Amino acid sequence: MRTISAVLANRSVRASLIAVVAIALIVAPLILPAFTNQTLVRIGVYAVAILGLNIVMGYTGQVNLGQIFFVGLGAYVAAYGVNHDWNILLVFVAACVIPGIVGLFVALAAARLGGLAIAMVTIALPIVGVPLAKRLDEFTGGSQGTSARFTDAPDWSGLYNDQWQFYIVLLVTAAAFLLARNLVRGRYGRSFGVVRENEAVAASMGISPYRTKVLAFTVASIFGGASGFLYLAAVQYTSPETLSFGHSISLVAAMVIGGAGSITGALIGGAYYVFVPQLTNAIDPNLTAISQGAILLAVLFLLPQGLVSLPRVIRRLARRRTAPSTPSGKPPQNSPVHHPTTEAAVREGLETQRGKIDHED
Amino acid sequence: MTLLELAGVTAYYGPVQVLHGVGLSVPEGGSVGILGANGAGKTTTLRAISGTVRTGGRISFDGHDVRGLRPDQVAVRGVAHVPEGRGTLGQLSVRENLLVGAYLRKDRAAISGDIDYCLDLFPQLQDRIGSRAASLSGGEQQMLAVARAFMAKPKLLLLDEASLGLAPSTSKAVYEAIRRLRVESGIAMVVVEQNANLAFSLVDSATVLETGRNVLTGSAAELKGMDEIRRAYLGG
Amino acid sequence: MKIRNKPGGVLGIVAAASIVALSLSGCVRDGAGQGGGGSSTSPGITDTSITLGVTTPLSGPTAGPGTCTVAGLAAYFGAVNAAGGVQFGDGKKRTVDVKSYDDAYDPQKSLSNFQQMVADNVFAVTSGLGTPTNRAFRDAAISQEVPQVLVMTGDPLFSDREESPWQLGFVPIYQNEGAAFGKLLAESGAQHKVAILSQNDDYGKGYVSGFKEAIGGAANVSVVGELTYEATDTSVDAQLTQLAASGADVFFNAMSITPLVISSLQKAQQIGWKPSWFLPSNTSSPTAILQPGGATAYPGIYSVSFSKAPQSPAFAKDADVVKFLADLKQYGNYPDMPAFPHCMWSYMVGATLEEAFKKMTEPNRDSFMTALRDIKGLQAPLMLEGTAVDTTTDGQPAVSSVLVQKYDGRGYTTAEKFG
Repeated sequence: MRTISAVLANRSVRASLIAVVAIALIVAPLILPAFTNQTLVRIGVYAVAILGLNIVMGYTGQVNLGQIFFVGLGAYVAAYGVNHDWNILLVFVAACVIPGIVGLFVALAAARLGGLAIAMVTIALPIVGVPLAKRLDEFTGGSQGTSARFTDAPDWSGLYNDQWQFYIVLLVTAAAFLLARNLVRGRYGRSFGVVRENEAVAASMGISPYRTKVLAFTVASIFGGASGFLYLAAVQYTSPETLSFGHSISLVAAMVIGGAGSITGALIGGAYYVFVPQLTNAIDPNLTAISQGAILLAVLFLLPQGLVSLPRVIRRLARRRTAPSTPSGKPPQNSPVHHPTTEAAVREGLETQRGKIDHED
Repeated sequence: MTLLELAGVTAYYGPVQVLHGVGLSVPEGGSVGILGANGAGKTTTLRAISGTVRTGGRISFDGHDVRGLRPDQVAVRGVAHVPEGRGTLGQLSVRENLLVGAYLRKDRAAISGDIDYCLDLFPQLQDRIGSRAASLSGGEQQMLAVARAFMAKPKLLLLDEASLGLAPSTSKAVYEAIRRLRVESGIAMVVVEQNANLAFSLVDSATVLETGRNVLTGSAAELKGMDEIRRAYLGG
Repeated sequence: MKIRNKPGGVLGIVAAASIVALSLSGCVRDGAGQGGGGSSTSPGITDTSITLGVTTPLSGPTAGPGTCTVAGLAAYFGAVNAAGGVQFGDGKKRTVDVKSYDDAYDPQKSLSNFQQMVADNVFAVTSGLGTPTNRAFRDAAISQEVPQVLVMTGDPLFSDREESPWQLGFVPIYQNEGAAFGKLLAESGAQHKVAILSQNDDYGKGYVSGFKEAIGGAANVSVVGELTYEATDTSVDAQLTQLAASGADVFFNAMSITPLVISSLQKAQQIGWKPSWFLPSNTSSPTAILQPGGATAYPGIYSVSFSKAPQSPAFAKDADVVKFLADLKQYGNYPDMPAFPHCMWSYMVGATLEEAFKKMTEPNRDSFMTALRDIKGLQAPLMLEGTAVDTTTDGQPAVSSVLVQKYDGRGYTTAEKFG
């Protein structure tokens, strides 16, 4: 396992691997059956929404239970633009910017409140959003929803619709993931992490917790809007049910399952969001709620850090088998006695936590 | 020239007033101690300076009124606070903690040199540079907290109980390193310390607080000589 | 930066990719499922069987009626299969398989289910409950030429042949129901003051417009109060108090939320307002709504129906009802007395589909749609005397005739006249 990682660390190996993945993604839809493509498209849709959620919740530590509102808003804006014959690029930009602006204003108000108050405000968003979407039927089509077909494959492409949609979603999703990766690895990403860990320390380092939260929340809203655009590209229809509160909770669950504070985890979360209902339908359509709950609990118990930690857990198990001595990275056991109280407790806590994960595997 | 000037500073936790008109003056490059019993208002005075508590009175820093500013705004002006309990970012590595300290700096090129300087100042951190801060010992965490504050290249360092919970030999080493830092960087300091022996190793002058008021102010040498100080803070 | 130790980025991606790869059973694409036209054999039908798909809410708040939309259909065809299957118009005898999919009333999931059904070779989609969930894959069904028929939505779009060539609604559209009650009231001869409360969406508006149209020329009916509420409201007490003050003796309540109907029935009693009520067919269940609401306190609770009520003593010995309840228990996995009319409706959907199967001369979707649109005067089991399936009129669902019913304390009986 470790040698594989060492090989992967090599720059040229990395680059060629990325190239292989990219080529595979471009060729795959031409070979795969329609339903597989449609499934992958939906994974892309929700991966982007979860990615945004991850930035505000996983990286910045601010509870956001209203992400679905921004997905729905993005979908409605896109539907409105498509049905008014806007240029497709304008539709995309509007579907990102308008939720971004709404998110900014909500965050400006909510981030002042801090703590659980932010969570409360975000809960209110989908709860207000659903009746609003029903009421504003001039823009939204009311409770019957609105259709917008704009992702049927053009004739010149010679592609099936599902292939064409795949490429649209792939383009936007890849761009979103690249942007998010650069964001969290850069200066702003560092400020997100500091605010999550300790707002007082952040402030003492000159990082405004308020502005950082507003930024993270706004970025999440923009990603939500982009996801809404993709939703419309994939589903070609949206209605008030799109932004119902329950889906927001499912998004949060998928984010945690995938791996909070991990870019790859967002992709896995998207896959989880889409696959699990399909899987539970295949098991027994009458027991979907129960089997989904069981899967959720099983993953959380086995991998509390999310599915993204699976390779890490496997690696650790493998390492334990090959080298039963103290694994690197753990603090030395013979810690000097003159470190009393707190830090010892912290370390002990860490040890038990690690031990627990190991034991449960 | 005076860098920091407090006059008649009051502070409140909710409705409870804890400072009743504290004064303090720190010259550029100077180091001033705040002594006093538990609950005298030492930590609160530091918080008043860094903007983490509701205050009244006058606080001027570097020629500007900074009272009422948010903590991050105070930090931007060049005040770095090493809070009681260290406040290291446990999930981040030592190196990341140091980089967070340099968050506001524009001179990117100099940052890696300053990290090297920190590691020279606190050699224990050298070996732990990639470890998560939470896995450090208490002394190492304290060193990291000071180093991180230094990374911001502040004009003024607020140091709160750097010896708290540390074994005597460890706190001595920490204070020696801070002393060296002070000499080599010329950063001004406000030092809150229960252990007056340690405090006097670092400060030029000091003020003694009692229930939120100054009761005694003087140079380190003057104060060290006073019987009541010896009895109260120097263990004899 | 690294917030915490993560697996290497590339390794993570590889892991994710393999999860995806493992989860998908990839087979080379062959263009199957694209189009069902022509005289060839459509997917989902063999010489011995035909497969139907239902996407409907089986979990979440609408799971109750959703479960019924599967149970009734499964009960009907379970009994038919046990007797050997359906004799199709092409001379072959086939059994009918019903595959159900949970969409939890989420449009995105119903589309996903539809796509899955196409991959699973389902011949036709039927019986599913919900306007948004059916709308979500309507376009896809049209472009893939997959029938989406006899679905449980009062949305008129599904019965517009031009707009929806591969669709057909089953239940009466909202206007049909409102109009039936309006007509009864206008014909009563007595003076009536009507208070109207409606859900502020297409559902409520449909009921009210049908009702108002029917009382248009009647001098004996006047609307003395008209208010709306939002589908997400948790209380309509304020509206009830205001409408009670209008002194109306008839209350037309176009409400689709079960708990809200129950609390309305209770609240009006508390404030001493006891008019005659009209309730929509999907929120007038005797066991789930009227009993908990204490409906016997009112001079009359009216609803509309086209199906016999199994709960009602009047139908307890009815042959249709006895067979229906037995089938539901044996084949529908639904041992209790149905709490929602959707159980009966989907049973009738089964009978209507059987009729179409008998008429279709070729084993493909085109022939099926032609046969389905050519049913007239079919008295499906459980249908009330005076109602029938008629699929031949453009703009109307398969069942557009309803009879006004009056609550008799346990179930419903047909009301010949108001009062």
